[in-house]
Amino acid sequence: MTTVKHILMEKGHVVWSVSPHAAVKDALHLLAEKKIGAVLVVEESKILGIFSERDYVRLVADAGALAQDTPVHEVMTHPIYFVTPDQKLEDCMSLMTAKHIRHLPVMENGKLVGLISIGDVVKWLIEDKVTTIKGLENYILGRGFSQ
Amino acid sequence: MTTVRHLIRNKGRVWTFAPEEPALRALKLMAEKKIGAVLIMEAEKVVGIFSERDFARAAAVNPSLSPNTPLQELMTHEVYYVSPDQTVDECMALMTARHIRHLPVVEEHQLVSVISIGDVVKSVLAEKESDIKGLEDYIWVNLI
Repeated sequence: MTTVKHILMEKGHVVWSVSPHAAVKDALHLLAEKKIGAVLVVEESKILGIFSERDYVRLVADAGALAQDTPVHEVMTHPIYFVTPDQKLEDCMSLMTAKHIRHLPVMENGKLVGLISIGDVVKWLIEDKVTTIKGLENYILGRGFSQ
Repeated sequence: MTTVRHLIRNKGRVWTFAPEEPALRALKLMAEKKIGAVLIMEAEKVVGIFSERDFARAAAVNPSLSPNTPLQELMTHEVYYVSPDQTVDECMALMTARHIRHLPVVEEHQLVSVISIGDVVKSVLAEKESDIKGLEDYIWVNLI
């Protein structure tokens, strides 16, 4: 059974973050530069929230303006859901689908060790299921009608 | 094999805008309907797609961007679409390869729906799960 740990082994443990007092324009630059959809909002190694493309466009829709100097803490999403390295991908998928979220920070012993996205989870889950199906098919072909 | 046709049975209407409409109008509708993208149509043809990402990236590059910029200046022009007879596996492959989250569904040159990555994932996983169950039953039955 694939767990969050397996994703992090391939993807690495780098997590991009901004300070809660940063302006949204700085956070948007980071998203664009790193080609990612969300960054964590962190202060003194405490996770305060998450800031995503969605949070920003909702702000613009409300304000009717670019609102680029708004501090991140005013628009970030919090509290946030997180997972541990030993959790199953199915559990992550259920959580993401139920809560309509695309990113989950990974915490181990109170420390942030990674961030996984819905794209990561989907890719791994589908590979997992295809492998299981291939295994079962081989088993049937090996032992089935031929006997 | 689940097809797109099966997936779109219970989907609501498609939200569309004209290319010259202001971005802010689309952003307000996206917030209200809780959707991530809208289609841009001209003379009943899909000419682009406008997503949360398009706006966030444009705002990062241009700090004096007007929220009322016409959609045609911000939308993604290259739109991948699928037909109702394609399988959800094909949609998933296309979305993963192109890093896109939405696919318009077109039948006989008419836009009939839009599917999101969430719709596709749910369906693909359910289908694979039922394949596995089917194969497991088969093994079980054949071993007795």
